[in-house]
Amino acid sequence: MAAQPKRGGVSLPERRSAAKPESNILARITSSPLVSRGKQAACDASFVSKKLLRSTGKAAWIAGTTFLILAVPLIIEMDREQQLNELELQQASLLGAPPTASVSK
Amino acid sequence: MAGLVPPGTTAIPAEASKTAHTKAEEKTDYMNLPCPIPFEELQREALMSLKPETFEGLRFDFTKGLNQKFSLSHSVFMGPTEIPSQSAETIKIPTAHYEFGANFIDPNLMLIGRVLTDGRVNARVKWDLTDNLSVKANAQLTNEPHMSHGMVNFDYKGKDYRSQFQMGNGALFGASYIQSVTPHLSLAGEVFWAGQHRKSGLGYAARYETDKMVAAGQVASTGMVSLSYVQKVSEKVSLASDFMYNYMTKDVTASVGYDYILRQCRLRGKIDSNGCTTAYLEERLNMGLNFILSAEIDHSKKDYKFGFGLTVG
Repeated sequence: MAAQPKRGGVSLPERRSAAKPESNILARITSSPLVSRGKQAACDASFVSKKLLRSTGKAAWIAGTTFLILAVPLIIEMDREQQLNELELQQASLLGAPPTASVSK
Repeated sequence: MAGLVPPGTTAIPAEASKTAHTKAEEKTDYMNLPCPIPFEELQREALMSLKPETFEGLRFDFTKGLNQKFSLSHSVFMGPTEIPSQSAETIKIPTAHYEFGANFIDPNLMLIGRVLTDGRVNARVKWDLTDNLSVKANAQLTNEPHMSHGMVNFDYKGKDYRSQFQMGNGALFGASYIQSVTPHLSLAGEVFWAGQHRKSGLGYAARYETDKMVAAGQVASTGMVSLSYVQKVSEKVSLASDFMYNYMTKDVTASVGYDYILRQCRLRGKIDSNGCTTAYLEERLNMGLNFILSAEIDHSKKDYKFGFGLTVG
């Protein structure tokens, strides 16, 4: 079936007309409507899957680079801030213990 | 739409603020409203969070203080600069320049001068004549003819209002007035006249701020409508969003961004409705030593800009 152009300009290719039936049995099988319909379906499926793969690839690229720019520095900096906090907590607990120990002596 | 409301409406809230003084603490004291921020800084929180100075290439700034008031600055920039072109493609030309600057900073007087190796000279003066009156001037001279410009501003600060008058070359005149209407809300209006292009314009603005958020809106008769909202999520994090609409050229842009101010760094990121994302990181490596990374990716134009720099002093 000829497809109307859809949104985005993606449309299936036109169908070619059926060939004349031959006397040979193999030629008759390959030119039967079932086989030609199967071939057309395979062509359409490969066309659609190529387009889908391309748009998925594009979306993955955009999402990946945007995540790299917006989120990766944020994660790195938040991790450093947390490390700094832990270090300070440790220092505070270390420095906090000796004065009380010396006073209690 | 901007032309329907006459500029006199900004004077009416001034009468309302002179109403009777109330004794109860919950009622707002209309006689003691805080002084509003200057008109050009109306959307400063959103501008600071959403529009960091991204650059492409290498940037190195060195500031040396000679005195308590006087300092010199040396700055090197190497990288491609975009030149405006009529076609959709962006044209970038590699440029490099060195900039020498001198700053004199006093409580009442501030003088800043810069000279660049590509022939430009910038000067800025800010002089506080009295507590309430201050004069600001800035000028830029270039090699190219008809590209030099200068501007003088006179600012008067009242108890709960500010007014400004500005004059620039090319017969540019402007005036603005901002008034605090409640402790949180301030309203402003501005007019300008550009003699060279025979254009005049009118604009209104409003700003509502609390401890946690700032919302500002601006409408101008040049066709620009700009709304912004900044929410302070915690003392380190704030989120900002911005909406700009030009009703003459029917241009719309919306953007959302974050601003993380941590102890060792400041990270700002933003994503746009034009398919453009930017990030700007300033990291404090040592006392007085800052490392800067800037990234800007424009997915629709396929334009990628990355820059790094170092700031000393």
